[in-house]
Amino acid sequence: MTKTMIATPISVAAVKAISDRYDEPEWLRQRRLAAWETFEATPWPTYKEETWRRTRLTGFNLADFGLPVETPETFSSRDALPEHLQTELDKVDSAGALILQDGALIYGELDADLARKGVRFTDLRTALAEDEELVRVHLGALVATDENKFASLHYALWRNGAFLYVPRGVAAEKPFQVLVVQGPGLANFHHSLFIGEENSEAVVIEDFMGSQQGMSDSVAESYVKQAARLHYLRLQNLDETAWNFATQRASVARDGLYRQLQASWGSKLSKVWIDLEMEEPGGHGELLGLYFPQDHQHLDHHTNQNHKTPRCTSDLLFKGALDDHARSVYQGMIRVHHGAQKTDAYQKNDNLLLSDHARADSVPGLEIEADDVRCTHGATSAKVPEEYVFYLMARGLDRKTAQRMIVQGFFEEVINRVPVPGVRAKLEAEIAHRVGIE
Amino acid sequence: MTATLEIKDLHASVEEKEILKGVNLTIRQGEVHALMGPNGSGKSTLGYVIAGHPHYEVTSGDILFNGESILDLEPDERAKLGIFLAFQYPVAVPGVSFANFLRAAVSSVRGYKDRAREEMERTGQLKEVGSELMPMREFRKELFEKMDRFNVDRAFARRYLNDGFSGGEKKRGEVLQMAMLQPKIAILDESDSGLDIDALRVVSDGINKLVADGMGALLITHYQRILDYVKPDKVSVFYDGRVVLTGGPEVATMLEEKGYGWVEDHLAELEEKKKLVNG
Ligand SMILES: Nc1ncnc2c1ncn2[C@@H]1O[C@H](COP(=O)(O)OP(=O)(O)O)[C@@H](O)[C@H]1O
Ligand SMILES: [Mg+2]
Repeated sequence: MTKTMIATPISVAAVKAISDRYDEPEWLRQRRLAAWETFEATPWPTYKEETWRRTRLTGFNLADFGLPVETPETFSSRDALPEHLQTELDKVDSAGALILQDGALIYGELDADLARKGVRFTDLRTALAEDEELVRVHLGALVATDENKFASLHYALWRNGAFLYVPRGVAAEKPFQVLVVQGPGLANFHHSLFIGEENSEAVVIEDFMGSQQGMSDSVAESYVKQAARLHYLRLQNLDETAWNFATQRASVARDGLYRQLQASWGSKLSKVWIDLEMEEPGGHGELLGLYFPQDHQHLDHHTNQNHKTPRCTSDLLFKGALDDHARSVYQGMIRVHHGAQKTDAYQKNDNLLLSDHARADSVPGLEIEADDVRCTHGATSAKVPEEYVFYLMARGLDRKTAQRMIVQGFFEEVINRVPVPGVRAKLEAEIAHRVGIE
Repeated sequence: MTATLEIKDLHASVEEKEILKGVNLTIRQGEVHALMGPNGSGKSTLGYVIAGHPHYEVTSGDILFNGESILDLEPDERAKLGIFLAFQYPVAVPGVSFANFLRAAVSSVRGYKDRAREEMERTGQLKEVGSELMPMREFRKELFEKMDRFNVDRAFARRYLNDGFSGGEKKRGEVLQMAMLQPKIAILDESDSGLDIDALRVVSDGINKLVADGMGALLITHYQRILDYVKPDKVSVFYDGRVVLTGGPEVATMLEEKGYGWVEDHLAELEEKKKLVNG
């Protein structure tokens, strides 16, 4: 496997070419090169590592993916957008929208009133040009270059991303929406950077789509400053031939609130890390997850609820249904550091098996170094209960409809905690589609 | 036509253990037939077998609805014929709202779904999502009317099916479902158990209204109590997997006086009498 990996068009030359093309500041060029060195120095993961024990990269080959060379067409109004993108944006009543196509911003809009209040919602390139210092300080400060091999690769090759900055005291009522569109056969390195200043509030939705036979290697960093409230709804809708790697982390300051939803629908294989860092007392973090792999999809989620400080709460609920020969892996850790008293942390992973050939592995974990804490975790994995099916059938529903309804109901516990009606509708539609209702 | 449900020498087992040992029973539309028997005698099993629970195996005998065997029918097909089982222990289905579920059930039982499918096959055109369902407006109107008529809180509609319901709420929910599905024959399995007097009144009142509208009911109960509210036309005594005595309301009164112990002591005698009646 290692042999083919070396022969890749993704090379140090490509890294330099990106820096040249965008005429990047020296610090960024140096970071890229350092990331590339780390990438090269890091061996490819093997099943001997605990995080990779249940997820193999068999068939993955960097040489199979190219980097984008063309500059895609841009659009100046919503009406001019291709219909499928317009439809996607219209599903949510938003305060701003961005569309990135293979790392290029092809469309952007932002509520004028919010812009006047200092909200910045733009692609990362523009943010870098407009406020280099702000980006320099925050980029890579949460997810480190050497976090894992895919993060290293990301920092060497990222081209663009989404940037949201909400100033102190500003609350955006409507969500911000990002569409990340990826062309076939390409490697894409989308970087999400969200900063919610003191007492601010925002909801940001990111939709990943496309990437037939491609690869997505993204990083997301969310900063929740004091008493800020940030909701991040991340919908992974990649093509089912795509490889997907994502490293995400949020840090929550005093009395802050962070809520994230990860909905994993697409990709052939996904390896997703989601870390929550409770940095100062009084914070609340919530991690929600939905997944519904079918055929031979393999979806792996790895979460960390890191309590470093007293009096924080965190709540995690990941629910998945699996059909056909699909496979899911959930590994979760609640880590309560020494002195993080009065921590209240919860973690739950439920799986519904719709086929005898599907398999869900769940490995919840706790590491507690403080004594005055409340931590609970649990995992379940079961088939659709026959008693439920019989009850619904006895009321006239045929077996298929009964089963569909039970599966849809299973996900409701997560969906009804999603704060945007348009997103709830999208999630419900995707689940309906997956259970076979068009 | 008055619908009838006839159970003929029905034997059924679960996990190789015979529970029903030759049940004979007839239930007619518009009639209340009480089935009384001690715990563990197989009353719920009878209800499940009539509704078509896959866990139970019918080893001999038959169940006829209007003269035709229903043994080969799936539970949903039996429901569409007009057979309803009010569960002794209704299961909670998390995340499925009462209204959504009931709309799907009503649409299926009233043929909306079949008509949409036929239409699709005839025209070859895919129909809109929801076209196989009873129109929302009509459904809501009827649901709220019936909630009012059967004393069920309107808030039920948005709650998840039986999830977090008290015992009484579950039984009211069963009555509401029955009112919406308008079965010809309903089997009510201990619809009175665990109810306080107010809930018992509501549930009995619901049953009476539906019987007055023409429903037939098999009222399974362990106690005499509900029979003060729902007057039976016939009473059958169930014992060890079969009906040992059938008569008028006086049977219930006698049973209350003498207890199930009396039934056990007079089993041989009752069998003899039944043979005479049947013969
Ligand atoms: N699913 C089942 N599996 C095993 N035994 C069962 C099952 N259902 C009923 N039984 C047995 O059948 C007998 C009759 O039960 P049931 O029909 O619930 O009686 P009743 O409703 O009269 O109290 C009991 O001995 C019970 O243990
Ligand atoms: Mg019973």
